[in-house]
Amino acid sequence: MKSLAWNQRNETSRRQMLAGSALGFGVLALADLLRAGSEPDAAPGPENGASADNPLAARTPHFPARARRIIFLFMKGGPSHLDTFDYKPLLARDDGKPLPFAKPRVQFAPTGNLLNTPWKFQRHGACGHWVSELFPHLGRHADDLCMLHSVHGTNPAHGGALLKLHTGSDSFVRPSIGSWVSYGLGTENQNLPAFISICPTLAHGGINNWGAAFLPAAYQGTPLGNASVPSDKARVKYIENPWLPREIQQRQLEQLSQRNREHLQRFNADPTLDARIRSFELAFRMQREMPQVEDLSAESASTLRLYGIDQPATANFGRMCLLARRFAERGVRFIQVTHSDNKVQWDQHSDLKNGHEKNAAEVDLPIAGLLSDLKARGMLDDTLLWWGGEFGRTPTVEGSNGRDHNPEGFTMWLAGGGVKPGFRYGATDDYGFFARDDKVHIHDLHATLLHLLGLDHERLTYRYAGRDFRLTDVHGEVVHPIML
Amino acid sequence: MTILERRRCVILAVFSIGLMLLAALSSPIGAADRDANNEHWAFRGVVAPDLQLLQTTAWDRSTLDLLLRETMVGRGFRPAAEAEPWQLVRRVSFDLTGLPADIDLLDEYESSPLPDRFEQLFDRLVASPGYGERWGRHWLDIARYADSNGLDENVAHGNAWRYRDYVVRSLNQDKPWDRFVLEQLAGDLLPAASDEERHELLTATGFLAIGPKVLAEVDETKMELDIVDEQVDTVGKALLGMTIGCARCHDHKFDPLGTADYYALAGIFKSTKTMENLKKVAKWHENPLMTPELAARKAEFETRLQQQRESIQKVVQAAEETIRAQAENKEQLPKNLEPMFPAPVAEELKKLREQLTTMEKEGPPIPSAMGVAEGTLVDLPIHVRGSHLTLGEIVRRGIPSALGPISAAPIDPASSGRMELARWLASDANALARRVVVNRLWRWHFGRGLVRTTDNFGLLGESPSHPELLEWLVLQFARDGSSWKRFHRRILTSATYQQSSLAAPDKVAKDPENELFSRFPLRRLEAESIRDALLFVSGSLDRRMGGSLLTVKNREYFFDHTSKDLTDYRSPRRSLYLPVVRNNVYDVFQLLDYPDAAVPNGDRATTTIAPQALWMMNSEFVAEVSAQCAATACGTGSADEKQTMTGLVRRLFQRPAADGELEALQRFLGELRNALAVSESDEANRVRLAWSTLCHTLMASNEFVYVP
Repeated sequence: MKSLAWNQRNETSRRQMLAGSALGFGVLALADLLRAGSEPDAAPGPENGASADNPLAARTPHFPARARRIIFLFMKGGPSHLDTFDYKPLLARDDGKPLPFAKPRVQFAPTGNLLNTPWKFQRHGACGHWVSELFPHLGRHADDLCMLHSVHGTNPAHGGALLKLHTGSDSFVRPSIGSWVSYGLGTENQNLPAFISICPTLAHGGINNWGAAFLPAAYQGTPLGNASVPSDKARVKYIENPWLPREIQQRQLEQLSQRNREHLQRFNADPTLDARIRSFELAFRMQREMPQVEDLSAESASTLRLYGIDQPATANFGRMCLLARRFAERGVRFIQVTHSDNKVQWDQHSDLKNGHEKNAAEVDLPIAGLLSDLKARGMLDDTLLWWGGEFGRTPTVEGSNGRDHNPEGFTMWLAGGGVKPGFRYGATDDYGFFARDDKVHIHDLHATLLHLLGLDHERLTYRYAGRDFRLTDVHGEVVHPIML
Repeated sequence: MTILERRRCVILAVFSIGLMLLAALSSPIGAADRDANNEHWAFRGVVAPDLQLLQTTAWDRSTLDLLLRETMVGRGFRPAAEAEPWQLVRRVSFDLTGLPADIDLLDEYESSPLPDRFEQLFDRLVASPGYGERWGRHWLDIARYADSNGLDENVAHGNAWRYRDYVVRSLNQDKPWDRFVLEQLAGDLLPAASDEERHELLTATGFLAIGPKVLAEVDETKMELDIVDEQVDTVGKALLGMTIGCARCHDHKFDPLGTADYYALAGIFKSTKTMENLKKVAKWHENPLMTPELAARKAEFETRLQQQRESIQKVVQAAEETIRAQAENKEQLPKNLEPMFPAPVAEELKKLREQLTTMEKEGPPIPSAMGVAEGTLVDLPIHVRGSHLTLGEIVRRGIPSALGPISAAPIDPASSGRMELARWLASDANALARRVVVNRLWRWHFGRGLVRTTDNFGLLGESPSHPELLEWLVLQFARDGSSWKRFHRRILTSATYQQSSLAAPDKVAKDPENELFSRFPLRRLEAESIRDALLFVSGSLDRRMGGSLLTVKNREYFFDHTSKDLTDYRSPRRSLYLPVVRNNVYDVFQLLDYPDAAVPNGDRATTTIAPQALWMMNSEFVAEVSAQCAATACGTGSADEKQTMTGLVRRLFQRPAADGELEALQRFLGELRNALAVSESDEANRVRLAWSTLCHTLMASNEFVYVP
């Protein structure tokens, strides 16, 4: 089996140096350690698919990309489209009456009659998107948002729906979309992982949601903390050594490098041994770069305010959004931010009013801040922002004041990265139970996201256990009308 | 195939022609298709290579060498030199037990004048408990073993460890392969001479039960069929190297499997009881491991409970009768009279009920094992496009006949058919199944299968690189009574296995992937061996065997909605015994290419990524074992530095120290001590930390994690 290494630039010249200088290993190693470049790698590879030398080298896409990276703002638990972005006036008229058509054959929990939304809706921006009063700040960005009102999935339980959303499959272990994207495009900064998931939830599929499954381990998402860790405490595991002073560790790594190079000589420069030597060099550079990205102290007070980091309700999620921007700036390919507390956050089977009010208040300002910031930095053009949960909620009531899971029709929105701003696509029925017009299945959404990144979902395949796999399995239609 | 034809091989009808004639099942695949499939090398009868034309040389120790050398020489290569004795001991020790060599064993080997010292070494290693732990883990990769369900509801498989221990025991006993297969698929249907044996057989069927399941699937019909599908798919991949699962929705695109074959097989598992109930969160079935003593204690316990309930009932009745007798208007009495009981009676009742509650909690615990039993017998209709909502014609339970030269015995309509399936899979006449297992054994020794696609022998899999050798190995395996240990001996005593991993540069350039096996492959240790070796050389490995290290109870969650991590991997036990939590495999193992515990995997990857290096550099675990390693190495501190360093090099790498190596290490140690003077004022601490950093450096080195 060919061994894969995370990073190598200047491969040829370096091998020549190795061949020409038996004694210069220690010196060369140190030079490598000190060459801790964090500038995006400029040289995209000639073709797609994994290169054995550096599986994460930036690669040219199948066709010109509209977006270079994705930030996925994942609202764990299933936010209600009916109370946020999918305005249904008939719910007010028919509040308390039975749904005038059949409910889905399979439901998660029994629900009763129709339940009106407790919030007022208003049109926003020149485009006239309906946004409820839960999202006042986001409402001001209506003209940036591309609403997908007809998203639908297949699984009505959190676990299955999370897996479907992240991996395209709720019955098999499959690579996450972030892993597919890293596999297809590599990454632009060789000192950071290609795919980072900030405070992901460990429940409901857990690691499979950012796992590489059968793709090589290099495409695995790197988690920063998890949902039960406050974002200011979230760190990549093993990124620092609390026991050894930095200069001693550096001395140790030089010694290690020297030993390894002598060993390499004995084995005629076996590429797998060489790859492991390089992995230590990269680790050392990551160890230096990651804390710099995580350190928000250089950000101005106005930036912190923009993301709501100065306020208790929004500080936690605000920090995650700011981190996402900082990773995006440094060339990370796929960044997921998860809004999840130590319960199921947006899962309001009861007490919809208080639950959604609290949840929206935590994310509204930070997301608006992220949009403003990306725009101000000129990054929104090539960064695709993607907002949504694993499903929506039922227009019919669960208990007296809640809504049940609803994968049959719900709203997600995209912004930047080549989608039409202020655009609406698809619709649910008059009560918002089922996607009705221009339906967008999760597979279609995946195909579309890949397309925006310049990847053909039917050509982005990986051969495993005797067959070619893809994110969209045998499904997926690209939703062209939403693209610029 | 072409090589075979060129060499005029003879097809030996050594196996069960009778069975072929008995072929009772009609194939749902057309006759023309079957003929086409008969061409596929994997489905044909075993072909014995014609050895008469081969010339032996002094190098060959076995027919195996002869067959490999033929291809080698044909391509202009020669075998590599023999490995150094220390290299051989290190290699064999990791290969057979997953641990570095024991230094005493190594000393003995190096000083032994006996011509059969290697065979003796082999015998000792293969008889040690570490053998079953190492090779059991290989099989657990295939059995997609896990201590949790994974998927949507990650609840603990609190009793899966019994299956894991069964696997280790079976391999240590050198249970013949055919018996091992039979037990895992149909142990519950085999006769047992004792309770102990019965338990072992029930536990074996855990193989079918430990797959991942969508336990909160709202659609119960779908859940049940998904579970059946997982079983069909696992059996297909694990024992036949076939992706049968594809045929759930459509006739297999590449292999001779139709949807009818799939549903014939699926019927067998649908007729098997895997689940206790399907109500979300669904419960899987477990077989109680009952003994007469336990049964007696349980009966006695239930009698006592019954007596207590009766005493309560008596008190209630007596009190009610008194109230009724005293009542003036019996019609107006409330239905429940208890609130009217006099205080002393109420008091007594309360006491009796509390006693009952306490007693109920004190029942004798009945151990149980995940596993299957016969279920409601049923034949399944074809599910059009895999959907249970669009049903086609019903298919009788059966075994696909297109996958080999033999057909299975017809299924007894009064049984699920698991026994017939198991016998067919385990039979030495099942050429496909035999090629799959033999190729895996080869893969685990050499890091690469003769068929590279170890888990796919279908038309999309690769052809064998050495077809005749594969056939020869299959025949030897049958001759050896399908014993794994005898098979290992054949391989390990070969000249091929004992080659050096050092090769001339031009050889590496011409055959970088070592396709010809003209040197031993330099291999990185697997995740478990890296961790175990770290513990072993630091002197802190706990060699106790078996049992459970789970911190959560059976069917409880490792994570609930809170994302709180209830897994705990801090244990000095061998890696095999650490919990395997799907969705959250020990992060160190994830980094080091541990297989996905949801699907059979006979060919682990070896990748090299920076996070592995971060773990080596910065983790608490490696820091701790380094400190322990230093403490063990320095002992009382009386030995001189060079002596200690010589010992370390020997313990970590099994080789003698190289020229100048000790001096370099001494210089490094001195530098560390000086550098630490800034942060560490205490002399003893400084020395300790310097040695520990030195050990850490050696452990992180390539030499430590690679086996020559």
